[in-house]
Amino acid sequence: MNNNLQNRRSFIGSILTIGLAGLGGSILYPIFRYLVPPKQREVEVSNVSGGKLKDMENDSYKIVRFGNKPVILIRTDKGELKALSAQCTHLDCTVQYKKSEGVIWCACHNGKYDLNGRNISGPPPRPLDPYNVKLKGDEIIISRKV
Amino acid sequence: MKKHLSKTYKWLDDRLDLTSLSHFIEKKTVPIHRSSIWYYFGGVSLFFFIIQVCTGILLLFYYKGSADLAFESIQFIMSKVEFGWLIRSIHAWAANLFILSVFIHMFSVYFEKSYRRPRELTWISGVLLFFLTLFFGFSGYLLPWNKLAFFATKVGTDIAGNVPIIGEALKGFLRGGDDVTGATLSRFFGFHVALFPGIFTTILVIHLIMVQRQGMSEPIESDKETTVKNKTMPFFPNFMLRDMLLWLVVLNVLAILAVFFPAELGEKADAFASAPAGIKPEWYFLFMFQTLKYIPAKLFVFDGEILGILLFGLAGLLWLLVPFWDTKSSKGIRNRKMNYLGLAAVAFIIILTILGWVS
Amino acid sequence: MKRILSMITAVFIFCIISVNGAPAAEDKCYLCHSTMDDKESKLFKDDIHFQKGISCSGCHGGDNTAEDNDAAMNKQKGFIGVPKGNKISEVCAKCHGNEKIMRGYGSKLPVNQYDNLVNSVHGKLAVEGSVRIVQCITCHTAHGIKSVKNPLSPVYPLNIPQTCSKCHSDAGYMKTYNPSLAVDQYTMYKSSVHGKLNSSGDPKPAQCASCHGSHDIKPVKDIRSKVYPVNIPGTCSNCHSDKEYMAQYKIPTDQFAKYSRSVHGIALLEKNDPGAPACNNCHGNHGATPPGVESISKVCGTCHALNAELFSSSPHKKAFDEKNYPECETCHGNHEIVTATNKLLGVDKDAVCISCHTDPNSSGYKSAKLMRQLIDSLDNTKNAAMVLINIAEQKGMDVTEAKFKLRDINQIKLEARTQVHSFDPSKFKDVVSKGLLIGSDASADAKGAIHEYSFRRVGLGVSVFLICLLAFGLFLYIRRIEKK
Repeated sequence: MNNNLQNRRSFIGSILTIGLAGLGGSILYPIFRYLVPPKQREVEVSNVSGGKLKDMENDSYKIVRFGNKPVILIRTDKGELKALSAQCTHLDCTVQYKKSEGVIWCACHNGKYDLNGRNISGPPPRPLDPYNVKLKGDEIIISRKV
Repeated sequence: MKKHLSKTYKWLDDRLDLTSLSHFIEKKTVPIHRSSIWYYFGGVSLFFFIIQVCTGILLLFYYKGSADLAFESIQFIMSKVEFGWLIRSIHAWAANLFILSVFIHMFSVYFEKSYRRPRELTWISGVLLFFLTLFFGFSGYLLPWNKLAFFATKVGTDIAGNVPIIGEALKGFLRGGDDVTGATLSRFFGFHVALFPGIFTTILVIHLIMVQRQGMSEPIESDKETTVKNKTMPFFPNFMLRDMLLWLVVLNVLAILAVFFPAELGEKADAFASAPAGIKPEWYFLFMFQTLKYIPAKLFVFDGEILGILLFGLAGLLWLLVPFWDTKSSKGIRNRKMNYLGLAAVAFIIILTILGWVS
Repeated sequence: MKRILSMITAVFIFCIISVNGAPAAEDKCYLCHSTMDDKESKLFKDDIHFQKGISCSGCHGGDNTAEDNDAAMNKQKGFIGVPKGNKISEVCAKCHGNEKIMRGYGSKLPVNQYDNLVNSVHGKLAVEGSVRIVQCITCHTAHGIKSVKNPLSPVYPLNIPQTCSKCHSDAGYMKTYNPSLAVDQYTMYKSSVHGKLNSSGDPKPAQCASCHGSHDIKPVKDIRSKVYPVNIPGTCSNCHSDKEYMAQYKIPTDQFAKYSRSVHGIALLEKNDPGAPACNNCHGNHGATPPGVESISKVCGTCHALNAELFSSSPHKKAFDEKNYPECETCHGNHEIVTATNKLLGVDKDAVCISCHTDPNSSGYKSAKLMRQLIDSLDNTKNAAMVLINIAEQKGMDVTEAKFKLRDINQIKLEARTQVHSFDPSKFKDVVSKGLLIGSDASADAKGAIHEYSFRRVGLGVSVFLICLLAFGLFLYIRRIEKK
């Protein structure tokens, strides 16, 4: 009798355990998946326009949108065009071109890069990714560097 | 495992005196009688509220409360977010079932006369909770910013504007302007996710504490019966487990409804489009809406609409103050008249809802 | 004395004339005026009205039996002198608009010329203000009117172009009415087939009146005009579909029939699309080809510019020029141009490529085959996606985004069909690949929706099972603890 009772107890107990665990899982799993943000279909951007060459003075820069990432386009004092990722490799702030020092500078924590993107001072651990720049007539075309 | 649990219990008990609490819970009993079944509906209503809070918070992660983005954000939830359709459909269904359950709970308490002394305050807090539930429904309905909701809100706030003296100010306050616009949406969003939950939770806690302190009310007849000892069952674990069982059934129903009847979205609101054909308010407002339709536009010198509002206002007030004018029940005397009144009210509500639905 | 002498002369002449059976037996007007040597009576001698026995008074009024000036040119007898302005045409219309009178003279001429003229573009008021632009005598002259069938008549087919160009080639004059109207029609006409034949003495080819009408000329923009775009094919086919009329010219007469079946014909004639070409858009209005086009085989590019451009830089251009093939017409036809379907491309029997590219090892053959396969695959991918989308929709799942994506495939199809004219399989493939990607995306979306449908129901089944399991367990547990 005791044995029977024990068996029944453990049977009920196991049902309860499985049921509770299962229910818990079937509630928590959807919630967890729900909280993971859905992947936004990223439109494959292969190149963007950086505007007209005549609109860019020597020794100036602008931030251009490449898909959904910022790119810094610099026209050096010698007239050369350079394009690099504008996301600082430290903590993702958007960098700028500091004319006075001729370097790319990140205002958040004073990180500095040279005009080839190499990190030369401050906390950034890695260089900035380069982009290709070419001219189509007067228009500046920025594309990914393969 | 058990050892760890008991260790944790001891640690907390040291600091919070859990033992006296557990003694109180162990001693709590629930009377068993013919009408015991109605005891469950308070808990079921609470369960729905918890579901609404949880699904509501989840929806908040993706919902955007501005007129340009609201509709699209819900489209996003329904189609792109994993299980978004499930969370939203549960939220929509639970809202309706919540209101239904609150109706049942309120009326069962009424018919049992549980509002009588010493539980008058419990009744009042309960009726306030009921009104708040309706406000939740009204404010939440606008949030998808679709055509039906837009016009429903227009009509509803228009009716509010007919309240004597304060009507215009009330309408402007609700709408955030003269018309239903994005400003209205922002307000209703604020009402629905911040103001009402705050007030509701506060009153709910008071309501629950009072229920716990005073114990379950028993029917008037059993007050008199002294010969047969009242059957009771311990609240913990018996009643609570039964409660859980019912909650599981309710959860099941919700899941099935959500999968087979997912929440609809309709078309985005357009202030300059005509109202959709056959538009009517949600079912829980239908009986009032239909009644207003039957009141003639002008009765003597009174505007039909104002008369209707005053009528319902008065009814609401009387309902709120039931414990104070049903003195018989407070004395423990059976009051058949209250039952008839209640039955009439239920019949009125049901019949007018049906009329409103089919017209 | 002189008077009596002239009268005797008149009587004498009259007798001679009457012996000859000449009309105007008692026409004193003519008798008198012809002795005066005036220009009008000289002309009137050859006038058809004179020959029919109508006297000067028939138009000018008065008594043509009276010898006395005042009695003859008597207002009471209806003398109106020289009619001016609109009165001129009214005078003509008095008889020419009256059926009884005309039939009385045995004439089969219509009697609606005046009404038509009044409602035509020429019936409008001239810039001076009160007079119509054209009176009957403007084209028919006043006193030497000859039958239309008379080669000397200014409105004889061979002479009509010159008659019309008297005003219509005068830039200064035309400017006062409609500066936008061209004034080179006559010059252009002379360079066309119709004009050349007309100049060489053939009255059968079209001249101004054939297309524009004679009395009832309406502006080109007027829908009632015979040269309103929708009406042009019908106007041209009046001659060009007439086998007997065209027999001597040895050209086909099925152009109108073919054109009516073509894309252009259906668009213009059935759908009344004014953007569709009528005969004149390709063949020119008055000249041999439209302005700026060197030959009719190059005219298609004036509308189908991109196709023409692609063709010009394709290998076909040189090949066609060498063999003197007309560019577009070779594959698409000239009058019976039907909607180009996929079938036109490729190497099976309905395709045009195979009429030249017969060798299966030639690059042309292979390119044609490949391009056909690619464009067919576009259709296939779209259909496959639609099937899946419909299944998903049936199940009640939301597939609006997939459907929206698919719309782009139609655009790509259009692009591909244009790109065919480069006859370059790699460029073609680039265009088609975009479409294939879209199709597979849409299919994937639809498949996802279908999968989601079953996933939801399976998930529900699992949850319901677990809930029931737990409920069951709870139930047993409650029963157990209550048994105690």
